[in-house]
Amino acid sequence: MLVNFVRGAPVEWLLDPDAEPWRKVSLERVALVGTPVGLQPTPAIRAAWANKHIGAVSEVQVGAVHNGEVIAFRLDWQDGSENRELGDTTAFPDAAAVMIPVVAGAPLITMGAPNQPVNTWYWRGDSDTQGRQVLSEGIGTTRTVDQTLVRGHGIWKDGRWKVVIARPMKVTSAEKVVQLAPGEKTQFAVAVWEGSNSERGGVKAFSGSWRDLVLAPAADGGKV
Amino acid sequence: MSKRQVAMVFDLNKCLGCQTCTIACKRLWTREEGMDYMWWATVNTQPGRGTPRDWEQSGGGFKDGVAQAGKLPTRQDFGDAWKFNHEEVFFEGKGQSAHLQVVGEQPEWGPNWDEDQGAGEYPNAYYFYLPRICNHCTHPACLEACPRKAIVKREEDGIVLIDEDRCRGYRFCMEACPYKKIYFNHVKKVSQKCIFCFPRVEQGVAPACARMCPGRVRFVGYKDDQNGPIWKLVEKYKVAIPLHPEFGTEPNVFYVPPVAPPRYDAEGNIDESKPRIPDEYLVSLFGPKVLDALAILKAEMAKTRAGGKSEMLDVLIAYQWKSMFGGLDRDPATIEWTKS
Repeated sequence: MLVNFVRGAPVEWLLDPDAEPWRKVSLERVALVGTPVGLQPTPAIRAAWANKHIGAVSEVQVGAVHNGEVIAFRLDWQDGSENRELGDTTAFPDAAAVMIPVVAGAPLITMGAPNQPVNTWYWRGDSDTQGRQVLSEGIGTTRTVDQTLVRGHGIWKDGRWKVVIARPMKVTSAEKVVQLAPGEKTQFAVAVWEGSNSERGGVKAFSGSWRDLVLAPAADGGKV
Repeated sequence: MSKRQVAMVFDLNKCLGCQTCTIACKRLWTREEGMDYMWWATVNTQPGRGTPRDWEQSGGGFKDGVAQAGKLPTRQDFGDAWKFNHEEVFFEGKGQSAHLQVVGEQPEWGPNWDEDQGAGEYPNAYYFYLPRICNHCTHPACLEACPRKAIVKREEDGIVLIDEDRCRGYRFCMEACPYKKIYFNHVKKVSQKCIFCFPRVEQGVAPACARMCPGRVRFVGYKDDQNGPIWKLVEKYKVAIPLHPEFGTEPNVFYVPPVAPPRYDAEGNIDESKPRIPDEYLVSLFGPKVLDALAILKAEMAKTRAGGKSEMLDVLIAYQWKSMFGGLDRDPATIEWTKS
C-alpha cells in the first residue's frame, strides 16, 4: 500500500476522516480473519470462546497518508452497532489497531517474538482521540509504552466506522518503537475488535499476514 | 504456590446479617468513582439468589482441573447503585417533610434483595446468612484467565491482587471467577476486588470486615499457624470447610456450617428425625464434607451439654476477641496511615 504525501496538511485534517486529504485516497480492501481460538493465551479464554465466533468484522478498507511528519492510517468497516460505552460490566467498545514490525521478519500471528518486537498503534471507541502505543514480543507480552504519541478519531455513521489512527513518523521515545521516514518501505497489519461480540484482547479480527507499506517521498507529486 | 497463606473462617452460626462487615469494607475501600455499585464484602440470605444474582450458576472455575467458560454478571445482577434524594432530605431543608427514597427508575433487584426470605414452610422455615469476600484462592481462576498477567498471588501471604496498571479491563477474570467476586470499574476501566485489606495485614492489623464484626464471626490468620484459629478450625477440628469446593479453585475462606434449630411435627412436637435445613441443600453449597463438619459440631455441643469441655467450641465462642485474629491484632488507631 502506498502512503501518499500530502504537503502541508495539518494533523487535524489527517485526524478527520471526512477532511480534504482523505478524499483523494483510494482505500484498499483487506480481508480479516478471527484469531484462532487455540492461540488465545489462557485456558479460560479458550474455554469461553470454544463455541463462539471470533472475528465479527470480516473486511476493512484501508488507506494511509503522511504530511512529511505524521503518518495517518484510515480504516473503514461495516458495523451495525456503534459501541463506545463501558457503562455496564458486559459492554465492550469497538476498537482498531495498526501493527508495524520493529524488526523486519517479526512474526505477526504471535504479535512478535522474543527480540523481534512489533509496535501497535491502538484506537478504542471509548477514548476516541487518545490512542495507545503498545509493544509486544509474543502472545501475552503486550505493554503500553505511552498514551500520547498515537492519536485517533472515529466517526460512526449509517452502519459504518471511519477511523483514523496517526502517529509522528519519527518520535522521541525511550522504547524501541517504530521510526519511519518518507521514502521508506516497511510492512503493516490491521486488527478490528467488535464490541457487540465482546471482542477484546486477543479476541479480534486481523489481517492474517503482513502487507507492504511504502511511504511516498516528501516531494510534490508524491510518486515513488 | 505462595509460601504462606492468610485465610478466614466465618462461623455461620454467629452471623446476624447486620452488614457491619459490608459497610466497614465499603467505607474503607469502595467509595471512589466507578465503585458505587461495588460491595467487596457481601452478606446474603441463604437459600437465596445471592450477589450477584444467581452467581452459583454462572460457570467459571475448573472441572477436573480444566478451565470452564463463565458468564459476566451485569451491574443489575450485582444490584447496581441506587440513586437517593440525599440532596433534598439533607441539604434543602426538607428533612421533616421528605422521606429518603430511591429516585428515578425504581430498582427491581438489589445487592440484598431477597434478604430473610429463605425457604421452608412455617413452622419449619429456615434461613441463614452467608458472608462472602474474595476467596484468595490457592488456584485462582481469575489469575489464570488474565492474558496480561495483571493478577498476582503474593508469595508472602497468598493474597490475590489485581495490578491496575497492567489491567486493561478485559474482564476475562470476572468471567472466570466462579464466585463472581470481581467487579468492573467503568470509570477507571479496570477490574477491582477484595484485597484482604493487605495494607492492614502488612502492619499486623486484621481486615476491616473481621475487626468490625460485632458477632465475632470472622476468624483471621495464617493457615499454617498452629496457635491460630484457622489451623485449629480447618485442619485440627475439620469443622470449617470451603464454599463450593467443586469449583476447583481451593478457596482460602472457610465456613463453619449452620446448625439449625430442630423441626416441629404436625402436632407441634420437636421432630429430630430430619434436619430443618435439608442436608442436600447444605451439600449443594459446601459439598459432602459439610455433613462431617456438622456431626463434629453437634458432638462437641453434646459434650459440653453433658458438662465436658470443648477446646473447639471455646475457639468458636471466641471469649477473647483478639484471639480471633491469629496475631493480626494490632490496633489500627495506633498507626499513622498514609495514602501513597
